[in-house]
Amino acid sequence: MNEKISICPNFYTRLETTSLLVHKVIDSVKQNKIKKRNLIWFELTGCSGNIISLLDGANPDFKSLATQMVNFIYDNSLMAAEGEDAMEKLFSVIDDDYILAVEGAVSTKNNGLYNIIGRWRGQPVTAYDAIKKFGEKAAYVIAVGTCASDGGISAARPNPAQCVGIQSLLNKKVIKLPGCPCHPDWFMGTLAYIMLFGEPELDSRQRPIMLYSTLIHDICPRRKYFDSGIFASKLGEKTCMFKIGCRGPVTRVDCPVRKWNEGVNWPIEDDSPCIGCAMFGFPDKMEPFISYDTT
Amino acid sequence: MKRVKISPVTRISGFMEIDAIIGNNTVTDAKTEGLLFRGFEKMLEGRSPFDAVYFTQRICGICSAAHSMASTLALEDAFGIIPSQQGRYLRDIIHGCEFLQNHIRHFYQYTAPDFIKLPEGNTLFETNHNDFRLPKQKNDLIVQHYFDSLVYSRNAHEMLAVLGGKAPHNHGVFIGGITSQATQEKILQLRSLLQNIREFICNKMIPDAYTIAEYYEEYFRIGRGYGNLLSFGCFNEYEKLGTLYVNPLAYSGGKIVELNPAEITENIYSSWYIANEDTYTPYQTIPEPDMDKIDAYSWVKAPRYRGLPYEVGPLARMWLCGEYRNGISTMDRTLARVLEAAKIADIILTLLNNVIPGISVQKEYEVPENAKGAGLIDTTRGALGHWMKIENSVISLYQIITPSAWNLSTRSEDNLPGPGEKALIGTIIQNTDSPVEIGRIIRSFDPCVSCATHVYTNGSLIKTMKVVP
Repeated sequence: MNEKISICPNFYTRLETTSLLVHKVIDSVKQNKIKKRNLIWFELTGCSGNIISLLDGANPDFKSLATQMVNFIYDNSLMAAEGEDAMEKLFSVIDDDYILAVEGAVSTKNNGLYNIIGRWRGQPVTAYDAIKKFGEKAAYVIAVGTCASDGGISAARPNPAQCVGIQSLLNKKVIKLPGCPCHPDWFMGTLAYIMLFGEPELDSRQRPIMLYSTLIHDICPRRKYFDSGIFASKLGEKTCMFKIGCRGPVTRVDCPVRKWNEGVNWPIEDDSPCIGCAMFGFPDKMEPFISYDTT
Repeated sequence: MKRVKISPVTRISGFMEIDAIIGNNTVTDAKTEGLLFRGFEKMLEGRSPFDAVYFTQRICGICSAAHSMASTLALEDAFGIIPSQQGRYLRDIIHGCEFLQNHIRHFYQYTAPDFIKLPEGNTLFETNHNDFRLPKQKNDLIVQHYFDSLVYSRNAHEMLAVLGGKAPHNHGVFIGGITSQATQEKILQLRSLLQNIREFICNKMIPDAYTIAEYYEEYFRIGRGYGNLLSFGCFNEYEKLGTLYVNPLAYSGGKIVELNPAEITENIYSSWYIANEDTYTPYQTIPEPDMDKIDAYSWVKAPRYRGLPYEVGPLARMWLCGEYRNGISTMDRTLARVLEAAKIADIILTLLNNVIPGISVQKEYEVPENAKGAGLIDTTRGALGHWMKIENSVISLYQIITPSAWNLSTRSEDNLPGPGEKALIGTIIQNTDSPVEIGRIIRSFDPCVSCATHVYTNGSLIKTMKVVP
């Protein structure tokens, strides 16, 4: 678990919120109080790093998700079926109840042909088509990661594939979980909340307030260096990295307390600046990531 | 004659279609096509060279550290910086952790479902074939390890994050070595995680791979390809430790030769691009896309060494370093991968034994006004190259040739299929309604199509394709 740093104890309560929610869902499913929901996971125009990050989750882990919380219907990286048979499984639930999780932006160039996710009944299905078809009918749509949320690196200048975040293609509200990648707890907590209570309270950028309400800068363990004007001039230093490019002052997410990979570390503790990967406008508006021009 | 299209090929990273012709139960022709395009090479133009380390990682979420390694090496080459040995040890440990994460996930989550029956009652685990041969007891043991493995691949990422801040998309690998330092506490943490991962690999994963090999014995004779193997080298040429794994080498026609990077080219004859020449070297301009090009069928280009297709990856490395010489086939690739996982664990341990805690390797770096540099290194899936030109202190050209571009390469003018295609052609298909052999062969290459189709595209509609209404 995280080394306790002296900030508001409320934070640690919040840190445990996601795992409490997930366990409540698992118990409720066991006791037949709530039903397992169907889950579809799309890896669209991106790097598939969010499904890998989900596999890194331990709070609880992927097995609990796939066997105790949901009926996991479709995911390109993990499903045993392949080809049209895989697509049949996907389309078999389109008129049923399902929650749609999407990672990756959507390429809009050439009618979406820059990203074909498979063939169904002989015809190619584009990412664009898939999000239109399945997004409108889903009970809830969760944008997992920065690309699905706001375009992210897939939409970086000059945006050769004309990528957009999924909200701009849908007429229903998308719950956004930006981060490159999305932390497994952010997804699991949000999914569990939806299964128990419906849509969580969202901020003006459609992010769950329970996860995205705090500025990194406000709870950064190196804040005292910023306040005293002690700044690092290169990577590897233990002081405030604001002058070499840290985007903590504009990035809202709970990395300083939740940390990554079972809480072992996070970028600032690794003596490198936050690059604002969970922020709207990443990467173009967050660059340069590293700058030695500290004047 | 029957035409089979498998799309999507699941349990790989990214989107891929296989278009195969089957006659007399034999694959007579096969094409591998990548179906995802973003355009990283074009995006990188005009950006700060330092940012390439973090930026290029986003090409691929399963092998992001690989790109941070190649990008950092390209920067060091361009800047004329020779990293300290301590710096190399630390970042090579990060790189090794990525191998472990990948190999464990690839074997259990991606490969095993081709050969073992996963629990019923879960849509995700349902298959469309019935060629499952293991006795129930052995099958169920591997199923148990399928779920157990989640812990160990996760722990490998945890190790990566101890030194690299987070995973995927680490913050650690950088010019000089890594951003942070190793402390005694971190070294102990890494040792303890590594010990458990190594035990899992040796006691569960390797025996499981041999169990599968025993029941699917004909896969030692399926999916050979050309038998041309290539490596850029990795965990090699340390000042004190020498080479712990493999140096840059190539194997063709039964002979191993030293690799000369100047003889690497790319070809776009069958890919949707045009340029003055169909064959060019990595520092030359990136060709323009042309989706109307006749006979082109893939966005993946065709990397060549001395004009020939080469296979890259764990089997190539294990063969070139002399530790695995059983054969070149679908099953040999799988065995080489799990055996390599154990070897990587031992290499990480050796590096950890040589790490001195508390050494910072970071300096203030200055971007040269004009420079160029290449970062060539073997990563999990094989040989990865980043070539970078800097003009007016920003990136003016960035060329990436990935392992999956080697393995899934298209044909050049000589009509030689890429290694993956070559491995499919000639395969006997038992049941043409369910050609399970095709997926098994292609997955043995551990393809990563997110990586392979990172390229800049600007073309028009593909003429022959219709979108589902």
